[in-house]
Amino acid sequence: MPSYPITKWFGLAFAIGSSWALNAQDINAQDQDINAQDVVDFVQDVKPILAKHCYACHGPDDAEGGLNFSTQETAFAEADSGAFAIVPNDASASEILARVISSDEFDRMPPEGDRLSERQVNTLRRWIEQGAAWDEHWAFKPMRESPLPKVSDPAWATNPIDAFIYDSLNSAGLRPNEPSKRSDLLRRAFYDLTGLPPTAEQIQEFEADTDQDALMQQVEQLLQSPHYGERWGRHWLDLVRYAETNSYERDGAKPNAWKYRDYVIRSFNQDKPYDQFIAEQLAGDELDEVTKESLTATGYYRLGIWDDEPADPLLAVYDELDDILTTTSQVMLGLTINCARCHDHKIDPIPQKDYYSLLSMFADVTSWGHRGNQRINNQIDVSSDELNARYQANDQAKREVDSAMREIEQVGIAKMSAPDQRATEGPPKQRQEVLNGKLQDHLDEEQRARYEELKKEKQRVEEESKSLPPREMVMGLAQTQEPKQMFVLQRGSPHVPGDPVEPRFPEIFGSESVQPVAFESESESAGRRRALAEWITSKDNLLAARVAVNRIWQFHFGRGIVRSANNFGQLGTPPTHPELLDWLALKFIDLDWSFKEMHRLIMSSRTYQMSSQIREDAVAVDPNNDLFWKYDSRRLSAEEIRDSILFTNGSLNENVYGPSFYPQLSREVLAGQSRPGSGWGQSSEADQNRRSVYIHVKRSLLTPLLTAFDFPDPDLTCEERFITLQPAQSLALLNSEFVHQQAGRLAGSMSLDKMDDGEVVRQAIHLVLSRDATAQEVKRGCELMDELRAEYSITRERAVELFCLSVLNWNEFLFLD
Amino acid sequence: MSQKRPNFCGRTRREFIWQTGGGFGAAALSSMLGQDGFFTEASGSDAVNLNPLAPKPPHFAPKAKSVIFLFMYGGPSHIDTFDYKPSMNGMDGKTVEVKTFGRGGHRKGGRIVEPRWKFKQHGECGKWVSSLFPNVAKHVDDIAFLNSMTADSPIHGSAMLMMNSGKVLSGSPALGSWVNYGLGSENENLPGFVVMLDPSGGPISGAKNWSSGYMPATYQGTVFRTNGAPILNLAPPEGISLEMQRKLLDSIQEANTTHLSRRAGNDDLASRIASYELAYKMQSTAPEAVDLSTEDERTLSLYGIDREETKDFGTRCLLARRLVQRGVRFIQLYSGGAHNDDNWDAHGDLELNHNRHAGRTDLPIAALLSDLKQRGMLDETLVVWGGEFGRQPTAEYAKGSGRDHNSYGFTMWMAGGGIKGGVSFGTTDELGSSAVENPLHVKHLHATVLNQLGMNPNQLSYFFGGLDQKLVGVEEVEPIHEIIA
Repeated sequence: MPSYPITKWFGLAFAIGSSWALNAQDINAQDQDINAQDVVDFVQDVKPILAKHCYACHGPDDAEGGLNFSTQETAFAEADSGAFAIVPNDASASEILARVISSDEFDRMPPEGDRLSERQVNTLRRWIEQGAAWDEHWAFKPMRESPLPKVSDPAWATNPIDAFIYDSLNSAGLRPNEPSKRSDLLRRAFYDLTGLPPTAEQIQEFEADTDQDALMQQVEQLLQSPHYGERWGRHWLDLVRYAETNSYERDGAKPNAWKYRDYVIRSFNQDKPYDQFIAEQLAGDELDEVTKESLTATGYYRLGIWDDEPADPLLAVYDELDDILTTTSQVMLGLTINCARCHDHKIDPIPQKDYYSLLSMFADVTSWGHRGNQRINNQIDVSSDELNARYQANDQAKREVDSAMREIEQVGIAKMSAPDQRATEGPPKQRQEVLNGKLQDHLDEEQRARYEELKKEKQRVEEESKSLPPREMVMGLAQTQEPKQMFVLQRGSPHVPGDPVEPRFPEIFGSESVQPVAFESESESAGRRRALAEWITSKDNLLAARVAVNRIWQFHFGRGIVRSANNFGQLGTPPTHPELLDWLALKFIDLDWSFKEMHRLIMSSRTYQMSSQIREDAVAVDPNNDLFWKYDSRRLSAEEIRDSILFTNGSLNENVYGPSFYPQLSREVLAGQSRPGSGWGQSSEADQNRRSVYIHVKRSLLTPLLTAFDFPDPDLTCEERFITLQPAQSLALLNSEFVHQQAGRLAGSMSLDKMDDGEVVRQAIHLVLSRDATAQEVKRGCELMDELRAEYSITRERAVELFCLSVLNWNEFLFLD
Repeated sequence: MSQKRPNFCGRTRREFIWQTGGGFGAAALSSMLGQDGFFTEASGSDAVNLNPLAPKPPHFAPKAKSVIFLFMYGGPSHIDTFDYKPSMNGMDGKTVEVKTFGRGGHRKGGRIVEPRWKFKQHGECGKWVSSLFPNVAKHVDDIAFLNSMTADSPIHGSAMLMMNSGKVLSGSPALGSWVNYGLGSENENLPGFVVMLDPSGGPISGAKNWSSGYMPATYQGTVFRTNGAPILNLAPPEGISLEMQRKLLDSIQEANTTHLSRRAGNDDLASRIASYELAYKMQSTAPEAVDLSTEDERTLSLYGIDREETKDFGTRCLLARRLVQRGVRFIQLYSGGAHNDDNWDAHGDLELNHNRHAGRTDLPIAALLSDLKQRGMLDETLVVWGGEFGRQPTAEYAKGSGRDHNSYGFTMWMAGGGIKGGVSFGTTDELGSSAVENPLHVKHLHATVLNQLGMNPNQLSYFFGGLDQKLVGVEEVEPIHEIIA
């Protein structure tokens, strides 16, 4: 057996879980010279030390010795011992420093576990010497309009984004990359906006277009393409953990979930203002104008997991609400309020009370369903007035004929024997048996004739009922409930309710919002969710716009200005360009929360158009590209890979919207289910050629080709997909039935009998990579096909298929420059 | 290492990959590419292998290197196997007041179903074991029985999730994912977390049981099949030999190397080149791992592979040993699949059900323990046995011997990997209806597994959703010290 190798990297390799994060920080710190003149940032440098090492005994939950480091007031106060832990500007009087370096086992702090590193002690000391500024976390301060930086290069002064980026690069002594190659740029724009590549012809045309606005004209066309919504809608679907089943043993279907998915895609295609988009999802049933569309949007509340037989039903109710609150707060506010479900948030100023007060905003939201009726809470009838009228008329006709028949039946029954009469009062089946057998004999001729007529009429009415178009249903908040009183739950347990709470917004958003929310409506729905939506999308909300523009930036550049896009709190990563973030957020509000306007703004910047070339001089200064000196190249997403393969061989079915489809899954994949094939349908080949965003998302049976390329687990919100590069991906692209089938189609799309091998190579590269093949590639491609045929006696067609397969495996196909 | 920005712990998903993989590989990768004649102009770049399964050091010296989890899906009855209840003798059919909770809901009492098998004492420790497990009984001196297990749910769906991921809510990583996240894999040519299913089908919730949840899919369980190509997409389609595929691969790699040469410094591209080499190697190592032709007849017979009844589970037990030998960290074998009596879920006829499933597994499990022991591997291999819960002392229906689910008290056992043998820890009441002495929760079991692998269960964490997520939950959990050697 191999032994456990140990290398110097382990401290870092293990730093992800954050229990070791400080190790990583320490190791990093050793590479860096600490400059005594540097101003220590309380939030970034000091507070994490206090939180990690001191809060357990001197924090929000416990204030041993009368000392609590979680607020300025209590941290600077006199402790029970009479000493002061922190005395601004006076390191020697600050007890905290004496304690953290003390070697006396009774004095030392922390009393157990690792000591503070030398660097951490120095950080504390310098912070105190510098005046112990107790600053507020950036994200909890209002957005600020900064003046645009003045930059020396006029090319970088036109677009404000460029001015901010150039300025930050300049301060670090860096210059930005040159503009990207035209072909790279067009590919980038196409994939970013639609998730599909440009054709070789489109690239050639673009390269020949000398118009200064050529790119923006392309962008404009892409923004008008319905494929735009498919790409950007998918980002949103990741965030709201979109799936079409409930998980757990039965993993039951969520009927009409796809209509919510289409709602999302359509909203992006229509450039629906983000504030409206949010309001419809949170309160589509409470708006001034409630429409089919806004009701479909409330499908937002129906996307989560649901256990149809929970062991603890009361807890399950709160788990479901927590799932909604967690998703809402992380996705729309960038806040991990969920951390305060069981106790006060350890790091961010979010007391447990705030969690339950905010939870009260959702107090009228019903559960997905119950075992007895799994539809009533989640299926909304949105049939047209006309259809409703037809159904009503049919119902009325049915009632009339039934009543007329019954009248005659009762006349006949009155003449029947006592046991028969009694039988007709029993179950309907029994009654019908008696009527079928004996009614005739107890009616006169006229009655008989009339009864026969009525039977025919009844048949007609029933047939009409069957021929009516089905009622139109959407998935959403079909039933609300009387909002129940919420309490702070001790350690998150609904079995141990504590103080009652009123619906209100978290304290960190300022004192005004601490007031209980007033509600407009007392009747049909509580109006709470509408109040929440209005608060989130108000222009003064500290976070909503910042979080939204950060995501737009993220999906253009591969990472947000704040990298932790769902967490703007103190455990998140700070913005690399805070002024730019605020500028963009204010601009977004100014532009009526329009995504498309933001795309125009961003994509017209030189920052976006930079090349991805890696320069050693810049790597030396900024290896992580924190300052955006280059465009980060990226691997395509799972959907982009699958869709592009279908696109290059011409088989992509570009129909937009509609029910989901089921890609063919192999027997071995289905064998993992307890009932192989259960809940997985059959789709036509045409449907199977549709874009990946329309693949049915079954929680317990995700499509392997997609998961191999990091399609996220849909149980929890996904702020950013992993980008792994692992053997399972290579195996999928080398061996899977899907890829071989598509390579075959690619070969089949060429008129092989009229082409020599050189032309085949050129054509394959033209289709797959949208460019001309090099002479070397043609030579090598021909050699490969020759050798395959000679050594393995395969047909030319097969050799061409395999060559096509090989090109689909090239990095150039899977990566964007 | 490129990460310079000091911050608390808010690493993003992308950086996560950079960091987990970081380091392991510059040397390994460039040597690999060097051997194969790649890396020309780009050789100056500090290529990094992004393989998140690169081996990582444990927190402290581990007792176990691998885990074999024998998952008795459906929930075996503890009072009919390893939790002897002599006071129930002669009580069959008597009505008793006892609180139970199963799929039939909460009940206050019912008709006793007396354990249907005879118990005997075994080994030096004198452990009482029923006649369902005559072969496993020979190993009681190597086994620590946890007779006071409890879980949060007596319903299959959520109980399976709890046993596999520590939570009744779906979306969290499986135990095997945590192990691979914490320790990496010793054999990069094989998955680090392997799941082998019963021929009758997967368990309910299927892949959810070996999902990596919010962690990258790299850590999810890989289903290994015992027939044909063991892993999905492992074998090239018919008509393509490995040699032929090598030719294709060389062509792909040449194109990729040329592409990389104009993008010096792009680690992702280099990693993807490396991933093809790993994939290629996997195509020969994985089939070799499941090829039993090199095992002698005595071994095959030991595992019961020569008998119809035990052939299937025996094959999987032997494969588990072979995978452990090849450095696979976590292997989960399912006994039972699909629904009803295809697994241990004995609602109808207890005797028929348990005779069937014990009959299929007793010999192979005993063989696995003997084989590991004789090869000196048991010390480093932790074997865990049990289902998602146990079963009730009372009958589920008016007639018959079927028992409903019971998560108030049940038995699991562990052997090897630094676990004391001949120990029984914790008890249930005299009916086996619920744990009384030293009640244990699933999280204690999980904590013990991590501990034996050299990881502190309260430190192994993953930052997600604003929290340091842990397999064992937020509150500190101690491993079961009483059974640790």
